[in-house]
Amino acid sequence: MKKTLLMILAILLAALFLLPLIWMVSTSFKNDFEALAGQMNFIPNKPTLDNYIEGLRGELMNVPITRWITNSLFVGLAGTAIVLLFSSMAAFALARLQDLPLRKVMFPMFVGSMMIPGVLTFLPMYMEFNALGWINTYAALILPYSSGAFGVFLLYQFFASFPKEIEEAARIDGANKWQIYSRILLPASVSIMVTLAIFTFMGIYNDFVWPLYATTSPEMRTITAGIAMMAQGSYTQAYGKLMAMTVIATLPVMIVFIVGQRSFVKAITQAGVK
Amino acid sequence: MVKSTWQSRLTSSLFVLPYVVSFCAFLLIPILYGVYISFHNFELLSDTHEFVGLQNYVTIFTPGTYLFEQFTRGLWNTLQFVLYSVPLLVILGLGLAMLLNALPSKLRSLFRTFYFMPYAVSASVMSVIWLMMFDSNAGFLNGLLGKIGVDPIAWLTDLPWAWVSLTLTTLWWTIGFNMIIFINALNEVPEDYYEAASIDGANAWRKFTSITLPSIRPVMLFIIITSTIASFNVYAQPFLLTRGGPGDSTRVLLMNVLDEAFKGKQVGSASAMAILMAVIIIIISAVQYKIAYGRKE
Repeated sequence: MKKTLLMILAILLAALFLLPLIWMVSTSFKNDFEALAGQMNFIPNKPTLDNYIEGLRGELMNVPITRWITNSLFVGLAGTAIVLLFSSMAAFALARLQDLPLRKVMFPMFVGSMMIPGVLTFLPMYMEFNALGWINTYAALILPYSSGAFGVFLLYQFFASFPKEIEEAARIDGANKWQIYSRILLPASVSIMVTLAIFTFMGIYNDFVWPLYATTSPEMRTITAGIAMMAQGSYTQAYGKLMAMTVIATLPVMIVFIVGQRSFVKAITQAGVK
Repeated sequence: MVKSTWQSRLTSSLFVLPYVVSFCAFLLIPILYGVYISFHNFELLSDTHEFVGLQNYVTIFTPGTYLFEQFTRGLWNTLQFVLYSVPLLVILGLGLAMLLNALPSKLRSLFRTFYFMPYAVSASVMSVIWLMMFDSNAGFLNGLLGKIGVDPIAWLTDLPWAWVSLTLTTLWWTIGFNMIIFINALNEVPEDYYEAASIDGANAWRKFTSITLPSIRPVMLFIIITSTIASFNVYAQPFLLTRGGPGDSTRVLLMNVLDEAFKGKQVGSASAMAILMAVIIIIISAVQYKIAYGRKE
């Protein structure tokens, strides 16, 4: 009896969580007229692909959706690559290289920096990029993410627990630091690197406020910033078209999320354990 | 250990160099630059910036000035949002985690995915979906109310509904994150504790208050602090859903900070507001930390 009640509650809650997402998909196949009619039909009366076709062709309002999604994917992938490289090198040195100067100072400083509220750096970072003439460039959309310390923190724990014997054996065989890093530690940490990659990619791809202000021209927008501009501008209440855009925007990240959920969960519980 | 040569120390340093450069360029320097900017009359489009010392801060603390109004009203609205959202994010997050743990283990990961899914969408997608759900004429929610004969609600343009809407969307969007961390914490509570309590005849509520809650205390604290910080930084929901309305009643502090900088072009006073906002966030986190751990020491 109690089990049945819990099951019913769980299903009801699942419906609540999924309903807006299902409604989004359903509306994206309705024309704007039907979308505004206020009916509650999940199966469109006149299903149409027009919202997707017109949206992807960029015919409506000259909004370059494909460009936005390409920007988002590029920025997400490039940012993730940089984070993986920088974090893993730094974490390797901090965890394994005993003669690294200032080692005892740097690590607490990096970990502590995770507590700094983003609002503290937002405006000056904008002014910094502005002074460099880098606003509205890919540099502005990618580089700021490379300073996040989460990757260093996550990989440090992993590298620090790596058995010392293997490394010493390699050193006796004449391997230098770069070889130990690239040929021993990196291949052994594929799974944690994937975890970090998924976490980082989702964070960058979904980031909203920074790309909104760091880009000024339509063709440099990421999809998150672009959708915000559309929702505030001429697309207000063009729900069929808006939802087609949000479905397109959500697909890549939803795939990464569902495929990599196990890894993603691992990353955030690691952060929670701290 | 073999004494290291300067060459060895140099090559070791090269490994941290890329991250350190990035850390300085996109974290340390901006923080210092922000303090510098806040001491100036710094206009976005002007090249000359007059040093004004603490004037921007003084103005923010002077009742009757425009900045004082912007800061205090924004802060009040933000605090309201924190008060509405954080308790629900924590309590319901724990509730969801406990519900999942009570389900048959085969179904657990499926339902976890369902509850966690909204977390994967971006702030702007989340807002646009709910813009449609809340639409006063064509929206799903008012359609639903119509079916059961309830008058439509102006979800985004009436009080208290605007706050209800913002809280609801935030819960829908982010509660999965808290749930995941709670699940992890619940699974680490040793099973024997519960068994021992059962033998002593403890009921479910007693087990919850004397075993579960004390065991997950550090995680609870982590969630309270991260939820508070996240809610303090709320922007996308009021920016896209209520647009700060009705009137200015859901205009949160971060909206006022960014508008002061980008619409008002006054980066100096906006930076002073931003720094004060960051200080408040840090103080609140520290106080929460102190309350949770202070008594032990």
